[in-house]
Amino acid sequence: MKRKLILVISAMLLFSTILAACGGTDKSASSPSSSAPAPSFSASPSPSESEPAKAEKFDISLRHIQVGQAQQFRKAILDEVVKRAEAEVPGANFEYDAVEDSVNRWTKLPAEMAAGNPPKIFDLFGGPGDGQKYAKAGKLLDLTPILDELGIKDKFTDFSTFVIDGKVYGLPIGASSEGLFYNTEIFTQYGINPPKTLEELEAAAETLKKNGITPFAMGSSAAWVPLMMVNTMMARYAGPDIQAGLGNGTRKWNEPEVVAAFAKYEEWVKKGYFTKGELGIDYAGQTDQFITGKAGMLFDGTWRASSFKADGDAIGKALAGKVGYIAFPSVTGGKGDQTAVNYNQNNGYGFSADVNGNELKAIKAFIKNMYTDEFQIRGFKEDGVLPSMKVPADQLTSDDPVISKILEANKAATTVFPHFDSLVVSKVNGEVEKQIQLLIASKATAQQVTDAIQKVSEAELAAAK
Amino acid sequence: MKNTMKNPAVYWAFVLPSLALYFLFFIYTLLTSVGYGFTDWNALEPARYTGLANFRQAFADSDFWVAVKNNLYFILFSVFLQVPLILFFSLLISGVKRLQGLYKTTVFMPSILSTSIIGILWGFLYHPNDGLFNKVLELFGAEPIMWLGDTKWAMVSILITNAWQWMGFYIVLILAAIISLPKEINEAAAIDGASGFQRAARITVPLIMPIISVVIMLSIAGAMRVVDIVLVMTNGGPAGATEVMASYMVNQGTRYGEYGYAMALSILIFAIALLLTALYQITFARKIERIDY
Repeated sequence: MKRKLILVISAMLLFSTILAACGGTDKSASSPSSSAPAPSFSASPSPSESEPAKAEKFDISLRHIQVGQAQQFRKAILDEVVKRAEAEVPGANFEYDAVEDSVNRWTKLPAEMAAGNPPKIFDLFGGPGDGQKYAKAGKLLDLTPILDELGIKDKFTDFSTFVIDGKVYGLPIGASSEGLFYNTEIFTQYGINPPKTLEELEAAAETLKKNGITPFAMGSSAAWVPLMMVNTMMARYAGPDIQAGLGNGTRKWNEPEVVAAFAKYEEWVKKGYFTKGELGIDYAGQTDQFITGKAGMLFDGTWRASSFKADGDAIGKALAGKVGYIAFPSVTGGKGDQTAVNYNQNNGYGFSADVNGNELKAIKAFIKNMYTDEFQIRGFKEDGVLPSMKVPADQLTSDDPVISKILEANKAATTVFPHFDSLVVSKVNGEVEKQIQLLIASKATAQQVTDAIQKVSEAELAAAK
Repeated sequence: MKNTMKNPAVYWAFVLPSLALYFLFFIYTLLTSVGYGFTDWNALEPARYTGLANFRQAFADSDFWVAVKNNLYFILFSVFLQVPLILFFSLLISGVKRLQGLYKTTVFMPSILSTSIIGILWGFLYHPNDGLFNKVLELFGAEPIMWLGDTKWAMVSILITNAWQWMGFYIVLILAAIISLPKEINEAAAIDGASGFQRAARITVPLIMPIISVVIMLSIAGAMRVVDIVLVMTNGGPAGATEVMASYMVNQGTRYGEYGYAMALSILIFAIALLLTALYQITFARKIERIDY
């Protein structure tokens, strides 16, 4: 008797362990995060639920990157959009999953795509290294029918980096330029005028350095940060069509003009124009350098502009009214249009291909409420995010001095150029990131760096054929 | 009851759950890694068999060998610097009469903290402008050191942090061994006129040799699979200077979508770890005699 009892108990223990283990794996495979339960079809019908008026409740996961104080204005817009979408789709509950930008782009989302469990709505970059790669693998929802239904397809100025075979798989949330922010107080103190040519910029850097101020704030522990400036320098030296040429292989990373851009950057590193120990400083640390007045200039995206508002919560409010902005100065002898500015519409939202009817309704409501003139203008006014949709030009005015200067700088430009990372595959981008750090660490010269990138680029282009 | 214990089914019932989990999370994953190691796979599209291409690529990949070298630094640092220090502190603490518990708890504390927290805390200490170390250097008028930003210093900085995290754990292990030694041996030596140093070097250390061997073994194993502290503090940077095998593998997989290559690297890492531990077992560990008293 006893023996049987023990056998039965141990058998029960065994099966419960196995079942528990299986249950665990099943759940993690079907839902994006353990805290986000699958849509609640399993709820047993109760009298109240059978009433027609009451809608079925369901969760829809939303990954966003609006983390931290610097992103607060964007987060407020997202909150508003979600509130409206929830009101429109009865029963919908948008579940936030906040992840820092580069972790989402380069670690979490790729891993989720590989495992087949991305969130339903997520922050997405375009280009062959991100959105287009996932779209080709059938992981992204084709948005073309939704755009047609909502009638907003022609409202976007450019979503080409999210398109594969004529179908749209992502929508840019806004646009940005990259240029030079400068501390007007420091500039006035040392009698420096906003530089118009590279020579003037170098003279300004020299003056700042002589007075114990770091010319350019820099935090290159993440390589995309220094690459912003390198990207623009490439366009100045090799022409604004260089990025497109590098993407499709018609131009070379080691052609003399691109090498010249890298060589100039190398020269500045050697001259100590960037923050000392930059390889150990992150992006937030770079902003900090500029805000605290340790550095006189900051090459960054226009999204940084809202940090310098007089608003009580802005991280750089100490600098309010003391920040100027110019496009990167022209390079004497540089190829092509020297007034061209960088312009990106490469970041926005993508949606999982694996959605049910309810989730699709919620996604539609999200798109309908997010991509409107109202929020495009609000994003611009509150946050300095340039619109990615065609909005009435008379609405695009700003009292913010920094944003006005950005508009001014962009108006003066007749040509725009993208960031190379929206046009090359991730492996090439990875190689550029590795090589720029080697350049900064003085472990490689501009020629060696560009040769190495070209080698990887050729191999990848050949493999793609 | 006696009959129950004779029934093999009972033993199976107890062993099966853990065996099942072992197969699921170790054997199965190991076998799939081996399978994918021979393919070109980005985890989005079907894998394509490429034979030994990944392994050939790995042997020619200088970045991977830099990572292997960095793992060896971890091993050398732990065996030749950490272990002697661990021994030294254990002997010191074992000799303390008062507040021994306090010392034990204090040295053990870092090993119960999460690596992410330790990484961030030490990141503050190493901060180029406002960090403690550079402030101290500044007091003496020395040039600041770019701890995590300089390719020459980053590896050392991580090694120090890693040592700080794990030394306490090993100290407690060795301390337990020292305390469990019979007091008579030491007392007899003291009566015969042996000095404190002589007793430590001639009696205590030889007697706890087996546990020291275990500590060395664990240090080597720990150094082979180190990854979290690197990912938190430098993510392999600056310019790949602190990349270790596992961080390199993780980045190849998730960051660049080269899952096939990452799997091949994981097999190589497994092989290297196996080889090194076997080497240690054959050359040193077996020579250590068990001493009975």
